[in-house]
Amino acid sequence: MDATNGGPEAVPRVVITGIGVVTSIGIGVRAFTFGLREGRSGARPITAFDTTGFAHGNACEVVDFDPAPWIRHTPLDDLGRASTFSVAAARMAAQDAGLVDEQIRQRRSLVSVGTTDGESRDLDGLVALDLEKGPEAFPPAVARRYPADRLSSGIVRELRLEDVEAITIATACAAGNYAIGYGLDALRSGAVDIALCGGADAVCLKTFVGFYRLGTIAPDVCRPFDLNRQGLLTGEGAAILVLERLESALARGANIYAEVLGYGLACDALHPVAPDQSSIVRTIEAAHLDAGVSPDQVDLISAHGTGTRANDVTEVAAIRDVFGEDAMPPTISIKSLIGHSMGAASAIAAAACAIAITEGFIPPTINHEQTDPECAVDCVPNHARAADLRIVQNNALAFGGNNAVLILGKHLGPQQA
Amino acid sequence: MPFKNPPSPLADETKNTIKEIVCDILEIEDDEMTDVSLFIDEHDMDSLRAIEILAAIEKRLNVTIEQEEMARMVNLEGVYAVVEQAARN
Amino acid sequence: MVTSAGSPAHRDTTAISCWATASPYGLGASAFRAGLMTKQAAVRPLPEELRAGGPHEEGGWVPDFDIKAVLGRKGTRSMDRLTALTVATVGMLLRSAGPGLAEDHPEAMGLVIGSGHGSVKSIMDFTKESMTSALPYHVDPGSVPNTVMNRAASQSAISHSIKGPNVTVSAGVLTGLIALNYATALLRQRRAEAVLVGASEEYSAQRSWLAQRADAGDGQQTSGPLGEGSVLLLLEPASRAVAYGRPVLAEVVASRFTAFTEPEGAQRSLARSVTGALQEARASPDQVTLVVPSDRGGYLGDYENAALSAVLSDHRPQLVLTRALIGDMSAAAAAFQLAAALVHANTGGLALVTSVDPGGNAGCTLLRLPAASS
Repeated sequence: MDATNGGPEAVPRVVITGIGVVTSIGIGVRAFTFGLREGRSGARPITAFDTTGFAHGNACEVVDFDPAPWIRHTPLDDLGRASTFSVAAARMAAQDAGLVDEQIRQRRSLVSVGTTDGESRDLDGLVALDLEKGPEAFPPAVARRYPADRLSSGIVRELRLEDVEAITIATACAAGNYAIGYGLDALRSGAVDIALCGGADAVCLKTFVGFYRLGTIAPDVCRPFDLNRQGLLTGEGAAILVLERLESALARGANIYAEVLGYGLACDALHPVAPDQSSIVRTIEAAHLDAGVSPDQVDLISAHGTGTRANDVTEVAAIRDVFGEDAMPPTISIKSLIGHSMGAASAIAAAACAIAITEGFIPPTINHEQTDPECAVDCVPNHARAADLRIVQNNALAFGGNNAVLILGKHLGPQQA
Repeated sequence: MPFKNPPSPLADETKNTIKEIVCDILEIEDDEMTDVSLFIDEHDMDSLRAIEILAAIEKRLNVTIEQEEMARMVNLEGVYAVVEQAARN
Repeated sequence: MVTSAGSPAHRDTTAISCWATASPYGLGASAFRAGLMTKQAAVRPLPEELRAGGPHEEGGWVPDFDIKAVLGRKGTRSMDRLTALTVATVGMLLRSAGPGLAEDHPEAMGLVIGSGHGSVKSIMDFTKESMTSALPYHVDPGSVPNTVMNRAASQSAISHSIKGPNVTVSAGVLTGLIALNYATALLRQRRAEAVLVGASEEYSAQRSWLAQRADAGDGQQTSGPLGEGSVLLLLEPASRAVAYGRPVLAEVVASRFTAFTEPEGAQRSLARSVTGALQEARASPDQVTLVVPSDRGGYLGDYENAALSAVLSDHRPQLVLTRALIGDMSAAAAAFQLAAALVHANTGGLALVTSVDPGGNAGCTLLRLPAASS
């Protein structure tokens, strides 16, 4: 079946009609697009916690973010930092889609948000408070808002949705793709008529220490696919996408960024932290099958691309297995720009893919000097490149071998539908 | 450097501590491990457990071991050598 | 999308064909069944090592759960209680369910685990170790996986070689119902042939403090003694269950979820969920033979009861309450309600499992129970 032109038997087509992003290189679609095109770097010294005692302490934090314009109904104390990102991004996405809250409220909806850490940033703070004053001093508002479900139910409350399923998908660093995939399934099956899907996470000590101790934090910047790459930088932010069926998008004359063609999930079931090549291959193939595309149709891969020694070699080996040594499409890593925003990462990358399709350019992999022959790809080094992108693949690999790959496609207009 | 002092052997107590740490992390009994038995080939060590061993030794013995040294930590003898060197630094 | 409850199935229905639990009654479905049928209270004084200075004196804790004794010495050194409870329950389910699962078709098997926020104990202990050690990175790298919320699901996959979609979901006290709905979608979209789905919670002083301090800000909606455990259901097309010689214990007929902004909206919201699910099932309220509410107590409990009375009117199905017996299961609550429905699934008709979360979400799942005669 033609990927962008489903026949009469085809399942309903699902499109992205709104994007909300909170990232270290830009808040909102316009600023984020500029950051992608310019190859901005979000790396800077960490302010979230004291980095004394670590040999280095950079991350990609969201600074100067004022949620007030986006969050109107919810007391800000009711939301942890990750939920603040997700709720603000949801409001941005709704506005970007040209929808007022009431229009979403009237439809049966899904809100699905992926995350690695939920509100672990709050738990960091509670541990410090425990050490200082004991657990009796935990503020009730924080004790109520920490559970991971608040990342999605916070959106429901802020938009005052009623006929809605709210789900937080906590499948670590692939969670954003999982959440978008669930939205695709819920729209395909007819279970819902609109879906707000994405991911959110906040920089926290817990995760920085974990990656640091595993020897995977870069001392200065993230250099995916580079011979001298030294690891990842932790990051934060959120992306929420508005998904709806093509027919409803056309009926209301919505702007369409891209079509969600399919996705694939698979689990290594081998190791808590090391990725597995054959399982990544299996995930990519499942995504291609679901999307009805073949490898030669893929114009761009947005890699998981953490910039660690192990990830980049294993991921590129899997890509090579699927596409062939000489037929790998340009393969970039958004993480070179915004660090690894954990559960938000693949959602933000999906937003970047949709923008790349719409705007006709490939965001660069920055900080790149010399490609590592062990993971040799055309990573579009340092400068964005103009390109007509029809099919884009977004990889996400998580601790525990939880892999999710998403396929987006250019929407070619109703005359081809 | 043209001339090197012979390495001063670690105290038996330190060696016992190291062996205890390694056996605990690799989930085996003391008598299953010798000074030369190989962690990966004979005791199922993987990359995460290698870092666990490094981290536990750093913390317990208050030394700093560079990540690159993990390549030498193939058995107890290798670990002793790395720790001796780290203790001298 | 939804199979009609009243007519013969023209398409394959989604069946629950086996289940297992580690509950405050002990390991195994039969211990849970026996405890529930005799209404024996499993909330009891916490042993000192579990209480660990937490504010609650009692809880519904899983007895005799020594991780190394249950799961063996290998691979358990760094495993936390939440992960171990889940791994053990997945193991019990796979052993009792028979063929056609992880051993035969690892890549066709999905695993969906519900969780509140992973192990808050593991996360907070890890951060505390960083904050109190001589150097902030003097932490145990072996504990890193425990600090990520997908640990229980991914370790269960590793321990039991389950290679299909592996998902961790979180939705407050509704989690078990949301997980079931997610798993149903995986099957209907053919992303897996069979899915193990459920939810887990562990008891810890940290969780206990968080619950107690959360209550302190509300006062009207207290969490009470906490429970812990894991429930896993085997979900597969009914024809597949039959082909492998498994009984259809229940069919998943419909789920519906709604939300409310103010507490008093809970009643209307849940009533809307139940009415919607019944409509999708093309069933009438008098076909409901069994109701398992979340039984939250406080104002949410009142609203839940009022919603059920409004929808069911003067029809009085059998009511099963579990919270007083096993404790507040938090994110595992709805999964335990589903298990309780399966314990009582000898009535035929429809089982209605409802849930209301203080965060503003409500929902329900309708199961069709096999008639005693069929």
